[in-house]
Amino acid sequence: MVHITIDGKEIQVPEGTTVLRAAEQADIHIPTLCDHPALTPFGGCRLCLVDVKGARTLQTSCTLPATDNMVVTTDNERIREARKFVLTLLFSERNHFCPYCQVSGGDCELQNAAYEQDMTHWPLQPNWNKYDLDASHEYFILEQDRCILCRRCVRACGELIGNFTLGVEERGADSSIVADLGVPLGESTCISCGACVQVCPTGALIDKKSAYLGHEVQLDKTESICIGCSLGCGIDIYSRDNRLVRIEGNWDASVNHGVLCKVGRYLPHEAENWDRIYTPMVRKDGKLKAATWEDAINAVADQLKQSSRTAAMASTRLPAESLYLFKQLFGDKLQADTVTSIEEGANTKLAAQLAADLGSPFEGSLSELEKADCVLVLGADLVEDHEVASFFIKRNVPHGTRVISAGCAENAIADIADVVLKPSGDNYDNLIQALSAALADKPVTALAKAAGVDEAAVKEAARILAAANFPAIVYGEALLKNASLNTLKALVELGHLSGAIGEQRNALVSVKGKANSMAAAQYGLEQAMEISDEQAVFIALGDDCPSQKLIKRLENVPFIAVQASYSSQLTAHANVVLPVTDWTEQEGSYLNLDGRLQTAVQPIAAPEGVLTNAAVLEKLAAALGYHLDAAGWKDELLKRVPVAIITE
Amino acid sequence: MNYRSMVLVSGDPRSMERGAREIYDQFQREINALELENEVSLAWMQDVGRSDAVPLAVVYPEATIYGPLKLEDVHTIVEEHLYKGRIAPGLQAPVRELSGHIAWISARQGTLPAEQRIILKRAGLIDPTSIEDYIADDGYQALANILANMQPKEVIDQIKASGLRGRGGAGFPTGLKWQFVASTPGEQKYVICNADESEPGTFKDRVLIEGDPHAIVEAMAIAAYAVGADEGYFYVRGEYLLAQKRLRLAIQQAEEMGLLGEDILGSGFNFKLHVHSGAGAYICGEETALIESLEGKRGEPRARPPYPTTNGLWGKPTLVNNVETLANIPPIMLNGADWYRGYGTEKSPGTKVCTILGNVNVTGLIEVPMGITLREIISIYGKGMAHGAHFKMAQTGGSSGSVIPSTLQDTPMDFESYQENGVSLGSGALLICDENNCALDLAIVLMNFFRKESCGKCNPCRIGTERAYQILKNIAEGVGTMQDLEDLKFLSKNLIELSNCGLGTTAGTPLENILQYFMPEVEAHIKLKVCPTGVCPMSGKKAYPKTKLVQLEQA
Amino acid sequence: MAKPKVATDWMAGCAGCHMSLLDMDERIIQVAELVDIRATPITDLKRADASGVDVGILEGAVNNTANEEQAHWMRDHCKILVAFGDCAVFGGVPAMRNFFTVDETLRRAYIEAPSNDASGMIPSDPELCVQTRVRAIHEVVPVDVFLPGCPPDADAIFYVLVELANGRMPQLKDNNLLHWH
Repeated sequence: MVHITIDGKEIQVPEGTTVLRAAEQADIHIPTLCDHPALTPFGGCRLCLVDVKGARTLQTSCTLPATDNMVVTTDNERIREARKFVLTLLFSERNHFCPYCQVSGGDCELQNAAYEQDMTHWPLQPNWNKYDLDASHEYFILEQDRCILCRRCVRACGELIGNFTLGVEERGADSSIVADLGVPLGESTCISCGACVQVCPTGALIDKKSAYLGHEVQLDKTESICIGCSLGCGIDIYSRDNRLVRIEGNWDASVNHGVLCKVGRYLPHEAENWDRIYTPMVRKDGKLKAATWEDAINAVADQLKQSSRTAAMASTRLPAESLYLFKQLFGDKLQADTVTSIEEGANTKLAAQLAADLGSPFEGSLSELEKADCVLVLGADLVEDHEVASFFIKRNVPHGTRVISAGCAENAIADIADVVLKPSGDNYDNLIQALSAALADKPVTALAKAAGVDEAAVKEAARILAAANFPAIVYGEALLKNASLNTLKALVELGHLSGAIGEQRNALVSVKGKANSMAAAQYGLEQAMEISDEQAVFIALGDDCPSQKLIKRLENVPFIAVQASYSSQLTAHANVVLPVTDWTEQEGSYLNLDGRLQTAVQPIAAPEGVLTNAAVLEKLAAALGYHLDAAGWKDELLKRVPVAIITE
Repeated sequence: MNYRSMVLVSGDPRSMERGAREIYDQFQREINALELENEVSLAWMQDVGRSDAVPLAVVYPEATIYGPLKLEDVHTIVEEHLYKGRIAPGLQAPVRELSGHIAWISARQGTLPAEQRIILKRAGLIDPTSIEDYIADDGYQALANILANMQPKEVIDQIKASGLRGRGGAGFPTGLKWQFVASTPGEQKYVICNADESEPGTFKDRVLIEGDPHAIVEAMAIAAYAVGADEGYFYVRGEYLLAQKRLRLAIQQAEEMGLLGEDILGSGFNFKLHVHSGAGAYICGEETALIESLEGKRGEPRARPPYPTTNGLWGKPTLVNNVETLANIPPIMLNGADWYRGYGTEKSPGTKVCTILGNVNVTGLIEVPMGITLREIISIYGKGMAHGAHFKMAQTGGSSGSVIPSTLQDTPMDFESYQENGVSLGSGALLICDENNCALDLAIVLMNFFRKESCGKCNPCRIGTERAYQILKNIAEGVGTMQDLEDLKFLSKNLIELSNCGLGTTAGTPLENILQYFMPEVEAHIKLKVCPTGVCPMSGKKAYPKTKLVQLEQA
Repeated sequence: MAKPKVATDWMAGCAGCHMSLLDMDERIIQVAELVDIRATPITDLKRADASGVDVGILEGAVNNTANEEQAHWMRDHCKILVAFGDCAVFGGVPAMRNFFTVDETLRRAYIEAPSNDASGMIPSDPELCVQTRVRAIHEVVPVDVFLPGCPPDADAIFYVLVELANGRMPQLKDNNLLHWH
């Protein structure tokens, strides 16, 4: 610990703490621009300068490590003049037209910093040079006039995401934020994660969809979780007048620490273009007609009563509470022939079986991925389906993290991998055993051949794994497709041999599927749906999009009932359509891929006449004469041995 | 063998075309004929600049230059000069037909004090592509002695005792820097030679590397041994292609001889050297920006602390030294700290390689003891101001040095004396200006350099240098105001105080010097709308939009 | 003691700042009781008399030589000069013209615009004022008080007027008066 005095206050901080962070701890405010708590310090804006006793010049507090007995003053004449000078120069460099900028009036850190210094005008006028505007990107604009070259966006794109699309070209007064080697953002390697927009202190990077829809003080903020995939990243939902304005990453969330991907940040806005269902509909004379809730529910209930073979499927975007009701109704009460989730256990069944066999969880925590110095990815396309997990890997590659990619199909992680293995026939059994054999110094040749991979590559991969101090193994749907229980057992053994599973840590993780994939597994919703002579099929779709495959499978089913938020081919084809809330209009619990039980909080009031998923199921149950238990969802969730330890 | 005289015959392509081979052989025959082969050594010489008097021969120790030579002249020279000890009449090369290094030797003749050549001892006189030439002149002796008989701490103590200070511009005590790195715990350490010489007007490091690369290689090995490093890098400016080539060759030769690589001379000390090329950025001469560039990132200076001595290349303790600083190491280790202290002043011992440029009669590279004055340099080595002009100002140390007025001509050129007067030696470049040069124009040229070379990380420098340049240009066009001078003072003061690195802080210094010492001239541009020397355009048109810096008290 | 005299004027602006001033609604009566409003572009007298005023309030940027004259006149005839609104403070929207040459903008306005027909031509009467680079007022004459905003908040305008009326320099510190948009 070091003792440091700031403005007369004596405080103790761990060694390595910067003066800026120490001041924050002591509730002393030092103005900053290029600094951001989630990024490494830059020291370029020179706004955070402080006076250190004994130092000849003012020092940037954001980079200066506190040392024992350091005496710091954060406010005096010299510092105030320096701050005014810095701000004066910044405003004079480019064209800061505050009058019509969307962040002016409270959301611009540059403007706020100037007002904080009691500046009401620019002592130095700009030269009025022309700067470019890049509006080629689908989701945001880069307005160079407003850029202060704080490099937050460059650092975020590199340090948080590992994509390194944004950089700086030229030097000195010609410096400019640029995408790749100087291409429009819309044509660049940008993956639309939006981290740069979130960290930009001025209006240089502006979100297109939410521009001018309100300053932060005018918006309602709801802390919730994203249900775009099984990661369950923490988000802040900004809404106004019951309308979704913008989604940002929650810097304090333990899963993602503030980063989001395109699916979580921008795709929810797509729903604005979809057709919403506001009223129940029943098919009469070949056409879907609006009906009352009572009529619609009864239509479903009647059919279910007389159906000899029924199948029921629930989307894994539904909250756990709804999935619990769904399971009770169609499983326990109606005892339908198939009660399953839309994933049909593809991501979870086998692993659940292994956990049951072992009598205990065998997978570890996703946060191990953030610290891993070697990651083996087996049969999972992280970039495509669980993108934020790929950030944890990509951003560590410059720090020496090695990557081994094993996948039959092409996948983007292979681009940054040290070793790429492509086992033949979508079968990973032999590959896993080959890797284990290599780690245990046993013969590899036959196994490598059986797997259809190069022996030297296997050995190299094993060497890298063995040399790692914190290896991690991630696997997914592609591996599970043709796997057996033995495959998973071999995988666990590989985990032990490689060090991914050890005394103190467990870094074996499967990415599962959608948001509540794991909850569906816990409720046993993992059957494969066989459509032979089903007379009735019930799909609790929620706000999910049905796949073409599913629609085709249900083509010839005589009676289909769907509870859904949006129109689709499925609802167009159905016999009864029951309108339900979408994810922003409901509250519910979600179990993420490594067992974290989180709550999705409701920011928006549901439209008139639309019910929650849970309410619809309860109504249906009532119509069938059943009483469903609502409160026991959590107990039921915890009953089955989970593949990863469940925490709250 | 202790020769009493040495004859060097020019062996460059032009000389060879004109029969230098035959002349060389004739010298050998004549020397042998008079049985002088144990007293007079004969060798080739490559660097004759663009001299016209070729082929030529230089006889040492008198440094007499004979040329252009005909075969029959050889007998006369050997008999008269080498045997009888008097200059052979009528055969000396006219000064006006000499250039480059050879001109120097000529300039020093007669009553001039000989340069005290420690650093430039061999440059231009040996074949830089021959490791044998270097070894023959006590090359790698220092390293061998150190590896066999000295502990790293002893090496550092000797460097400290010598008082050697960094020659790149900062003047930091070298021994102390070595000690910082040596005492930082860590298994992996690095040594870096900063050969990014980008100060305008400075080319001393280039001559050193091109002329005597092995000296620097040996110095790096000694430095690595002293601080505990096993890997080193030369960061050579991208434009210095020949220097890079010579270094790579030197490293290869040293490796072949077991003087680099694993287990050097059987001592157990390993040292591997790499040559890395810069890519045209002055800022990469700043040590932390250099390290960033080596790591493959944008060459922008880091925030300090921490310093490279504790947290340098790849986060490891790193020693960064300038080429000239390193060139002092082998001589100091060979001859001792006391010997070194015999040169220069007490606080700034040793010699300094300076480049004299500008309006003097003879320009080029010289090695002078620390403490010599500017007036002596101009009159002795520059042979006075050209065309009878008068000294007006000198720009020392490249752009990040200072502007010296005539009142400081007699100030000793050592780190202390200059600092006391608010000026700095910098890298040793001396741009001599006379009454035909405009002080304002000099300020513009310098500020232009800074704004183009600014890395752009911190805004006082990125924006401040640009603005200062614009204001200066406006004054040079005759549309300046007295308010502009206030703004310039304000900008340079803040540039010096608030910048992230040396580029910004020293961008303000020459400007401040000019405003301090040449105010009447600058004011003439503003008040009288006249450039006293007639250099500035004074078109009356605005070069840049005029915006003034309203004093912040009004805010 | 006589009430402080106030005059306002506008140059290259949209008059929005004056509209915002009127947005102080009934408080204008309070202001009228505190100060003697001698001239404004929206009252009968457009220019104060030669004896000058205590407080001069100028809206708009300096766009041509006529504006320059206005700015100089106001500076010479008032004790405290207030730059009123963003155009006056830094150039505002009119300053966007600085990205083009004067010639380009005149051509666009008088010849190329959709509302021009083939007879469009740039006025060139020697008695007309000459376009200049768009400048903030403080680039032409010294300014004492800067009141930013596009337009400034009515509350901020009220505050500034009341402070000046009471002989104090307004301190528009980091408070709600600045974060108005």
